[in-house]
Amino acid sequence: MATLRIENLHVTVEGKEILKGVTVSIKENETVALLGPNGHGKSTLLNVIMGHPRYQITEGKIYLDDVDLTNMTTDERARAGLFLALQNPSEVPGVINSDFLRAAVNATSEERVSTYKFYKMLDNATKELKMPFDLATRSLNEGFSGGEKKRNEILQLLLLNPKIAMLDEIDSGLDVDAIQIVADVIKKEKGNGRSFLVISHYARLFDLIQPTRAIVMINGRIVLDGSPELIKRIDQTGYEFIKTELGIEIEKEDASMNTVSIGSCAVKDSIK
Amino acid sequence: MNYLLDKETYELDFFSQKEELVFNVLENKEVSLTLLNIEEVSSIHFELSDNAILRLAIFAQNPVNSQKITANLGENSQIITYYADFSVDKNKLDASINLNNRNAYCEWHLASLSSKNDDKEIAVSIYHNSPMTNGRIDNYGVCKDNSKLLFSGISHIIKGCHQSTSHQNAKIVVFDNECKAIAKPILKIDENDIEASHAAVVGKVSDDHIFYLTSRGLTKEEAKLLITLGYLKPILKGFNDSIGEKINALIEGRL
Repeated sequence: MATLRIENLHVTVEGKEILKGVTVSIKENETVALLGPNGHGKSTLLNVIMGHPRYQITEGKIYLDDVDLTNMTTDERARAGLFLALQNPSEVPGVINSDFLRAAVNATSEERVSTYKFYKMLDNATKELKMPFDLATRSLNEGFSGGEKKRNEILQLLLLNPKIAMLDEIDSGLDVDAIQIVADVIKKEKGNGRSFLVISHYARLFDLIQPTRAIVMINGRIVLDGSPELIKRIDQTGYEFIKTELGIEIEKEDASMNTVSIGSCAVKDSIK
Repeated sequence: MNYLLDKETYELDFFSQKEELVFNVLENKEVSLTLLNIEEVSSIHFELSDNAILRLAIFAQNPVNSQKITANLGENSQIITYYADFSVDKNKLDASINLNNRNAYCEWHLASLSSKNDDKEIAVSIYHNSPMTNGRIDNYGVCKDNSKLLFSGISHIIKGCHQSTSHQNAKIVVFDNECKAIAKPILKIDENDIEASHAAVVGKVSDDHIFYLTSRGLTKEEAKLLITLGYLKPILKGFNDSIGEKINALIEGRL
């Protein structure tokens, strides 16, 4: 169906450069594992591809086939075929899940989907994910458990049928059974021309979905691009070999902004 | 004008009437009352006898210059109010519910849309004058253009009214830089053995919410509309279908 192409992408957030020249392509039918330590830009990359307004692209381009997405709005990218399952999906009170899903299905389909057809789609998708149907009639993600929120993301994936599906830690907050259900859905949706770009810290999900390729992001760049064997190696030995074999120093995550802890005086600490 | 409510359902239209209104609900009666075109009436009073239940629905769409709503509740009685405020220009509303006897119960839901040059001040207070009384206030608003929207009110539990509960919620979503939104829910508690809370939220539609909805293909405007409707639409469940549809059309038309 489509190829996603990122060329020399530089991105800043609040003046700080997070991505420092990312170049990578995801071809049709590929399932790519995106690995890397925390704080090195994996989630940023996915959010930037989706067009999150918090991030500024200072250089580089994003293409879907020959279409330049770099200056498109988030909704235009979604309609072009991109999808991002969020790490922490927002709770939106008052917005009924099924109303939202229906609006989304209509926005991304070429013609308006009838009420009957929509409920049929919704019924099938909730069954496939073993979700109680009443989740569809509640406020969007409000009061959902962590696992229910993640299933709701996959439900959206099933309904919207994107060309490129990006999953940001879809397995966090899921119990073993739920990971199996989600992995089964991904396996079924793989191929048919669709591509996946998947972030996870756990080899378990990758064992289940069998990526075709793995890429590693360090210091805001892709430093390794290779076979899925990389996943096993990193799972067993960590990222240390990148330093010894590639000579790349892995930058430490920035210290937390707030160094004041309970029991200390914030005013005193700030004037030190 | 004095009304004795002894049927189950009433839908009353007070078009161009200004006379004060008093409604009585007798012991053990359960009544649903919908009030329309009541904007010019300056005083509306409800008297609930023991074990009476009143489901009250008010739909305002014209200017309200000054209106007082009061209620006195008997033992085990309940008043459940849905107020859809789509008044234009002005709404100066002052509602006071007196929970005068044991186990009296009040639920108050209000949704308010304020736009253009509207100036709205809505005060809703619940007075717990007896033990084991329960009150809840939920005021939701949308504030646009050059308008002003103020939610205030007091939940007062007086001394000796033990095992009472009182909760207040005031939320306003703000659209434009020029509009002015204020939420100040106040608790006055003179008794220890009670449960009470208050919450106030005033702010614009969250960027993360908009990103989430637009990432599924909705335009920014559609996303904003859906989120805003989420503030106002829950009020519809207090109304019958024909008025509900009218309110729904009004909401979607004005946003």
